[in-house]
Amino acid sequence: MKRKSQVCVEIEPDLVAAATGDAEPGAALRVEQHIDSCGACRGEYDRYREIEGVVGALRVAPAAAESVARARQGLESRLADLKSRLVSYRVFSSPLGRILIARSEHGVSLVEYLDGGVDLSTSRLRRIAGVELQEDGAEIETLYRELMEYLHGDRTRLEWPLDLRLARSDFHRSVLRATAAIPYGAVTSYAGIAAEIGKPAATRAVAQALRWNPLPIVVPCHRIIGTSGALTGYSGNKVGLKQQLLAVEGIQAIGTRSDSRVARNMLYHYDRNDQHEYCLPTCGDIARRPIGPVTLLASRELAGVMGLVPCSACRPDLHPLAA
Amino acid sequence: MGAQPFETIVGAHHGEIYRYLRRVTSRTAEAEDLSQETFLRAYRAYRTLGPEANVRAWLFAIATNLSRNHFRSEKRRRVAHQAISVEPREADPEGPEHEARLGEARTLLETTVQGLPMKQRLAFVMRKIHDIDYEAIGRSLDCSAESARAHVFQALRKIRLSLNGHELPPTGGVDRGAPPAGPTERRGAGAPPSESPLSRERPR
Repeated sequence: MKRKSQVCVEIEPDLVAAATGDAEPGAALRVEQHIDSCGACRGEYDRYREIEGVVGALRVAPAAAESVARARQGLESRLADLKSRLVSYRVFSSPLGRILIARSEHGVSLVEYLDGGVDLSTSRLRRIAGVELQEDGAEIETLYRELMEYLHGDRTRLEWPLDLRLARSDFHRSVLRATAAIPYGAVTSYAGIAAEIGKPAATRAVAQALRWNPLPIVVPCHRIIGTSGALTGYSGNKVGLKQQLLAVEGIQAIGTRSDSRVARNMLYHYDRNDQHEYCLPTCGDIARRPIGPVTLLASRELAGVMGLVPCSACRPDLHPLAA
Repeated sequence: MGAQPFETIVGAHHGEIYRYLRRVTSRTAEAEDLSQETFLRAYRAYRTLGPEANVRAWLFAIATNLSRNHFRSEKRRRVAHQAISVEPREADPEGPEHEARLGEARTLLETTVQGLPMKQRLAFVMRKIHDIDYEAIGRSLDCSAESARAHVFQALRKIRLSLNGHELPPTGGVDRGAPPAGPTERRGAGAPPSESPLSRERPR
């Protein structure tokens, strides 16, 4: 067999590309000129054209529809499973220390004070079986911005979709839902929530449920206090944070750190009367009655939003409390 | 985040990604699993994908990566080579003789493709079956567009050798005036008629 000339060797890649419809314009022109004068390469070129034809047949050969459908079906179910397990999170600095925010496909699932921790290592997320964690950017950044606005008093609502699956039981979820309904600037008690969910004897269980609240701030368990007005606990031993969060909403606490209570004399009171009237703390014995049956309100605006009217006896409309 | 809901991406691309993987792995079960894995990975990363990204090329890159890992870690290359299956085909409109010849050539071609070194096989299937551009193939294979082109060239050379002596159905190959069959019809829109039939404008 005759050895190929150097020119033929060098032009071979372009020749193959040109014959299979894949050449640059300049290369195609060189190939065209070459095969006009080289019979061997013209033969090669034609052979590759034939091969391209067979490749073309391969291209249009359909894969069995049945196996495509089976693969797709399997994908749908694995995708659904992944979506239910995937939790994205980020850790941020805040005036309340390092905070982790996590969300799933359904909504925000965890807001966590990391205490001394700076990353995921001290988070509850690490101890939850079956979740797949993913550090996330933009989406959670938006939540963080809103949370900061809230903590600086520039926002009164966090209207986030919530995923309550990290709550420990249906009872806990019902406690969280009732707590989420307490408006900004209002305070009630554990007993009040227990009554609200139809389990008036379950005050301690309510307190336990809120101790494990996976969504502090968003589900405002800081608005739930003891019937006497004592702040009691918050997310373990963080009563100081509770005091800070209440202060943002215009609810001041007095007393020492271990024995702090809300200053009832600076709050409006509502005792769920049939006339929907709210009162000054000086109205009768209302300020000595237990919180729960009585709700405390930071402002007259809030009372208005709740559909309440000023008491006709103490007239909070005429004698507003000092802000 | 990608511009479309992820379900739309699945609907638009799953079939093709599956066929790609079916071609490079040659086993139905592997292709099923790898195609699912491709989209699960894509789902995890989808929110970080820019709205201008080429989703199709991106999915091919994920699928290619998974295939490479699959072959590397399991050394299934040889097994795959032994397990060649031929897809069911429809009757050839050009008659039984043409069909028989084409069928034989196609089987031989498939066998040869399955026996190619991994990068050549992946590059060949991406380029010649799925029309992915060389830049994207290069990104998928961690090499330059030039190297991707060289892989396809080497693959075609081997196919040429393996088909040596086999009569192939004529595809207008003798008449150089006609454009190559197949790809030009599918891809060739935009080439002006005055241009050489051998060349096609394509970004490198």
